[in-house]
Amino acid sequence: MERFSDHNDLAAALAEVRPAPRDDFSQELDRRADAGFPRRSRLAGSPLAGFAAWIRDLPPRRLLFAGSATALAAIAVATVVIASNGSTPQRVPIALDRPIPTEASGVDRLAHAQTGGVQYSEVVPQVATSGSSGRGRASNSAAAPSSATESDVEYTQSKPFMAESLANLSRNREIERSAEISLLANPIDVSEDSTKVFAAVHDANGIVLHSTTSSGKGGGARFELLIPSARLGDALAAFSSIDEVRSRHEATDDITKPTVTASEELRETQARVDSLLAQLSSAEVESEREAITAELHAERGQAARLRNQLARLHQRVTYSRVLVRIQSGTSTESEGAWGIGNAFHDAGHILGIAAGVTLVGLAVIAPLALLCLLAWLGQRLWLRSRRERALDA
Amino acid sequence: MSEATVAEVESPPQRELDFERLYRSSRDDVYAYAAGLLRDRAAAEDVTAAAFERAYRKRSRFDAERGSARAWLFGIARNAALDELRRRGRQAELSTDPVDAASQPDRGDQRSELRLLLDGALGELEARERELIALKFFAGLSNAEIGRVIGTSASNAGTKLHRTMDKLREACDGAL
Repeated sequence: MERFSDHNDLAAALAEVRPAPRDDFSQELDRRADAGFPRRSRLAGSPLAGFAAWIRDLPPRRLLFAGSATALAAIAVATVVIASNGSTPQRVPIALDRPIPTEASGVDRLAHAQTGGVQYSEVVPQVATSGSSGRGRASNSAAAPSSATESDVEYTQSKPFMAESLANLSRNREIERSAEISLLANPIDVSEDSTKVFAAVHDANGIVLHSTTSSGKGGGARFELLIPSARLGDALAAFSSIDEVRSRHEATDDITKPTVTASEELRETQARVDSLLAQLSSAEVESEREAITAELHAERGQAARLRNQLARLHQRVTYSRVLVRIQSGTSTESEGAWGIGNAFHDAGHILGIAAGVTLVGLAVIAPLALLCLLAWLGQRLWLRSRRERALDA
Repeated sequence: MSEATVAEVESPPQRELDFERLYRSSRDDVYAYAAGLLRDRAAAEDVTAAAFERAYRKRSRFDAERGSARAWLFGIARNAALDELRRRGRQAELSTDPVDAASQPDRGDQRSELRLLLDGALGELEARERELIALKFFAGLSNAEIGRVIGTSASNAGTKLHRTMDKLREACDGAL
């Protein structure tokens, strides 16, 4: 016996027994619907819960937009911070006439220059701190021959060139120093700057070996100087204060070894001379006296050469060779015409920083985002599976 | 199934979700679906309230291109119902008559007999099969919407529904 003849009959019967909600429940649900379905969570009303609910309720597109905007803002802020602080080595003012404090950290900050207006920012190179290894009693910062090159707007200086440090060193080591400094001056100021160079040399008790000065457009000046090493710092500070410094280069060379060698050879030669003089006084045969005299003459010549060599070495230590150039041109400080080329350069610089920030950010965020995505997908799959299994239970 | 429900089914997909309208047209259908699946009136009320609350929170995420508003709503309701099933840890047993006798007008002994017969037959179905019956005949979804809700095609949903109807008829016949 069939109760339902076909599916339509059964469907009609099912419609007859369709469950209907209680009136109380319907009214209560209607009230909640009118109120916008207020949350019944324990945390409802707390700021954190409100924010979390706001995030959850955001549509995906808005969430993506908000996330992208936040990321862009973060990149912009990081770019501005890096661009303003500089990702390049830190530049600090330097006082050329003051010693560089030696620190184990390797990077020293130098005091502000009080040298008449020109201040320099410099990149202070890291200095090895193996003071006594292989350098005898030499200071860690000054014993090694070293040099530092400065670009025209970046002024770099090696630590070992500070006056007091070298003064201390010179008691133990024979250090030859040299320096080269280029100044940028307006064409009309070349003559005046040259006069200031002469004055600075005079104040430092230095010597002008050679100088050339030309005025007018494209003019300039060149000075080859000998400056007492003990006053080199003062002199360089004075040169730097004359006009804008475009570049500066300083170098040291430890000539202790050739000095000691020459001294030892001189002592030996002198000893041989003394010995020959003794032989000469006791020689009785003419031919023997002539032979000793000839040998004595040669030894004395050798001693003279060694003394000259020592004198030159000592002079190289006592006086530092300094080359000062004055180039005429427009000061970078007065180059106020910021043009399209500068704009491209700046834009490229900023874009490069932004790209770097983005790359670093992606390197940090991408793996985390991938893990979060995998976790989210896994959680969804697990939940879906559990829900389907609930139907089969 | 109310007239509003029929109008909703036959109307073209909405671009913007009119939640108020969706609620008014689907409240009783969601309850009927939940009660038919869970066979527990109190649980069905909880699931209905939770489903509408979740839908309200997610209303801005509704995408008309991915299906009708009713299919979207019943997807949420299904998740809430299955969560309830998971929470209970067992398939819902008939604790109360899913057909709320108190809310139904007394239409005589024949109707009461019909309700008991169908109720017993539905109890013999698996939850997955009972869900199909609830979605189709209690909630009034089309086969396409059912497919969207349970994650299959419309034709496959129709096939499953046909088999379930056969099984339900056999259960009814066996009860006689």
